[in-house]
Amino acid sequence: MKLSQILLFLTLGAATLPAQTPAPEAPAKKRAPAAPEGAAVQQQVVQSNSLVKVNATSQPYSLHMPWQKESPSGRRGLGVVLAGNRVLVTAQMVADATYIELELPTTGQKMPAKVLAVDYEANLALLESAPSDKQKAFFAGLKPMAVDVGARIEDKVDILQTGRVGELIKSELKIGKVLTRRYNVEGSGFLVYEANNIVRSEANSFTLPVVKGGKLVGLLLSYDSKNQVTTILPAPIIEHFLKDVADGSYEGFPSLGMELQTTLDEQFREYLGLKPDAPGVLISMVLKGGSAEKVGMKKGDILVAINGFAIDSRGDYKDPQFGALSSSHLVRGRAYVGDKVEIKVIRDGKEVMLKGELTRRMPDDYLVLPYLFDKGPRYVLMGGLLFQELSRPYLDAFGEEQRGGAILRLSRIATHPDKYEEEGRKKLVFLSLVLPTPSAQGYDKLGGQVVNKVNGKAIHDLNDLETAFKSAKDTTHVIELDDFPHILYLDTFSAERDNMRLLGGAYRIGSLKRLE
Amino acid sequence: MNIRPLLSLFALALLPSALCAQPVPPPPAANQAIDTASGAWEGIVNIDVSVLVPDYREPWNAGQPSGGSGTGFLIGKNRFLTNAHVVSNATRILIRTTNDPEPHPAKIVHIAHDCDLALIEAEDGSHFEKLKPLDFGGIPQLNTEVIAIGYPIGGDRISVTRGVVSRIDFRPYSHTSVDSHLAIQVDAAINPGNSGGPVLQEGKVVGVAFQGFSGRVAQNVGYMIPVPVIKRFLKDIEDGRYDHYVDLAASDFPIENPAQAKALGTNGDGVGVMVGDVEPQGSVGDLLKIGDVILSIDENPVMNNGLVRFEGELMDMNEIVERKFAGDTIRLKYMRDGKKLEATVTLKRFDPYVRLGAQYNQRPRYIVNAGLVFQPLDRNLMDAHQMRDDTVNYVFDNFLTDKLYVERPEPVVLTNVLPDEVNTWITPYAHSIVDEINGVKIKSLKDVETALAKKDKPFIEIILLEKNRPLVLKRELAEDAHKRIMQTYNILEDSYLGDE
Repeated sequence: MKLSQILLFLTLGAATLPAQTPAPEAPAKKRAPAAPEGAAVQQQVVQSNSLVKVNATSQPYSLHMPWQKESPSGRRGLGVVLAGNRVLVTAQMVADATYIELELPTTGQKMPAKVLAVDYEANLALLESAPSDKQKAFFAGLKPMAVDVGARIEDKVDILQTGRVGELIKSELKIGKVLTRRYNVEGSGFLVYEANNIVRSEANSFTLPVVKGGKLVGLLLSYDSKNQVTTILPAPIIEHFLKDVADGSYEGFPSLGMELQTTLDEQFREYLGLKPDAPGVLISMVLKGGSAEKVGMKKGDILVAINGFAIDSRGDYKDPQFGALSSSHLVRGRAYVGDKVEIKVIRDGKEVMLKGELTRRMPDDYLVLPYLFDKGPRYVLMGGLLFQELSRPYLDAFGEEQRGGAILRLSRIATHPDKYEEEGRKKLVFLSLVLPTPSAQGYDKLGGQVVNKVNGKAIHDLNDLETAFKSAKDTTHVIELDDFPHILYLDTFSAERDNMRLLGGAYRIGSLKRLE
Repeated sequence: MNIRPLLSLFALALLPSALCAQPVPPPPAANQAIDTASGAWEGIVNIDVSVLVPDYREPWNAGQPSGGSGTGFLIGKNRFLTNAHVVSNATRILIRTTNDPEPHPAKIVHIAHDCDLALIEAEDGSHFEKLKPLDFGGIPQLNTEVIAIGYPIGGDRISVTRGVVSRIDFRPYSHTSVDSHLAIQVDAAINPGNSGGPVLQEGKVVGVAFQGFSGRVAQNVGYMIPVPVIKRFLKDIEDGRYDHYVDLAASDFPIENPAQAKALGTNGDGVGVMVGDVEPQGSVGDLLKIGDVILSIDENPVMNNGLVRFEGELMDMNEIVERKFAGDTIRLKYMRDGKKLEATVTLKRFDPYVRLGAQYNQRPRYIVNAGLVFQPLDRNLMDAHQMRDDTVNYVFDNFLTDKLYVERPEPVVLTNVLPDEVNTWITPYAHSIVDEINGVKIKSLKDVETALAKKDKPFIEIILLEKNRPLVLKRELAEDAHKRIMQTYNILEDSYLGDE
């Protein structure tokens, strides 16, 4: 597997990283970096003792025919052995996994593994193997690697890969920038190290460790071979994840849930009543149910400090380790769910100190699911009409040229869910497909219509829909849609008959619904 | 017009400027040989057009010069019929007959973009006084022979191709891309340059050749505008101006589903089509509701798929409305909640859809203020600017389907920010819909002018739709910069709001 597949896989998540251009080919094979350093065997042996190959088979559910799964595919990566015989990989590595195994790079010995904890937003997963004699023997020769959160800009680090017989291949990089950026799913930004140099292409690619002096400083997130830019998921985020896992209950990374606008424009500053050299950014949106709203922040506030760190007119604070860095890291990377937060804002010309606790908005709190891994999309089939709850992955599965019409309308709801949330909707139920059945005669060209009501009952999620289908009047289901043709009728008896025919029929449907 | 959404259009307009060269079939059998010297077809003329395509990116500029040619034919004293698309955006029109190399300058008398027809006249009609105008026939039968005459690519002199009538149907007209009318499909070769030319049967005009499919999509498919559409155009302009088609402005959804038929109360005899959407500002906006069943129009029963039998042919029910004019009435029978109802509907135009199609012969309207360029949202603008902004695309795509025109009849887009010291921080906000300026809700370009004239506050404040920060310019700085920007970017007039 070529290294460029790291980039390809990034696009499988809910969102792609903006600045990355997937390169068609891995960098030209260059023997130079590995060969001369091959002499420094001593240190490398230590490092390779802390790495295991990870092979995972991934099989996502079909988004368009959600009762079935797509074809399985293999992924290979290099996991980092941590204390307690656990192995750290990126979440991408194990997303939708059906089978995961660990492999010793030198001997090729294999051991099945399971996901102990995974965070798709932070793109991290921890694996372990069930205790057994075999497991003990497997880990006997391996040493846990320590995590080093001290890396700084200008530090030299190595990306590690293993060759066919376990030999270590290093690519040296220099950390050039530290910034925040969204990883591979929708959500606010995380800390990222950016480094430049050529990275060799080897067999294992979905997770590659980045080390400095034998300690883990990060995992490779992406490599853009055209510009030779590497982004690294850094140790501070890894440490945060591991601490969270260690306390027994996993809460994830908190976020403020707000949008800010820079105040570099002098005319805008004057309009906002900001003094020329005063710090602060304009809060232009506060997400419902997020930490910012719970703490009491309001649209129109000028944010001037978080936990004592002053926020400048770009929205950055001065990080003691990395210098100017987006204020989102103060919450997302440096704090935990449940931590106290102190936010200073200017409201109506006066300073106000807001205090509260940090929370995390869970994926299920969104009207449109931001990502969906390891489980099948929820659906209900009724007489050939397939109803689903809208998700980002569903929308992203459509190409640019298919984005008009219904998909454009649905995408806009995903980015502007307020109106639909105010109606009390928990999820956006829509008619996604019509299978050709006698009861759905005349409806086969429909798809992409939002469902408002069924049999007179408002539909706030698929469970509502399932319940509503039990209360038809006069043997006819009445389905009210937000879009043309606005109203559909379905005969209850022939719909039930079609349901029975669909089960095990040509469309290979094993179940008429998935509501778990 | 048919506002049913989801109609994909593959028709290739026979643009006058030569497109792909397609081989012209060999000449027809000599059974109807015509001596071009005899003057029998002398009234079928070549129309050579110089065009200026408006520039919607730099709306203050002249536009792009271009040109092409098509066909036209004499239908009365110094009156030539042709396609609207042949003479659209013309700056000069020249007429030539097949035997006379002399070009005769001509001008447009009436142009109807919605049905792709235009009437032109020679500035000096005396040259054509002796020519005999062509007469109109009716709707030809299927599988009867027709000939298409004109000046298509492949040569300079008049050309004849022969074929049969293949189909009579309600079709989208690609000139605007949003209008649909009756069209007749023929398998006579119709190529670029045939546009505007007559299709004859037994010496009479049965249609005007106007569009076809690209050879990559379909073979031997040409379309002509049939006589009812032509006659309607000629009748419409009798009062000296063209008034546009009228429209029901409702979308129908077939009743094919047994449960649907039962619920809507139709008795399964195949009569009645469901109303799937109604435009509140259209002819039936106050009358029909979603879920009503249209049973008949002017006593013609409407079938469950929206067709009527009209003049011996099955046609879209809109064809009955199509033949009428603003102020005319139709008799509508419909059913609501199982009850049969009747009403007389006075027909009117439905304008909001026009901006969704291509528009011609119009100078782009705009306002420039301190480097901020404001333009009304329409198809021409979307095509020129290649808007990628989700909100702009949503508003354009759903202008009718989500009834956005009711609140905002003419959405205004901030299309460009011409960089200057005064606006350098807001340049990333180009391609946004303008919601409000200085507290004034922007429903048309005119509102922008009104709003910018308000000078009671020290800041110009622009609220954009679905963008979370207002754009602000300090008034005194903006006023200074305005003159400078106009000069730097070579803009002569800071606005064009139309002729009215």
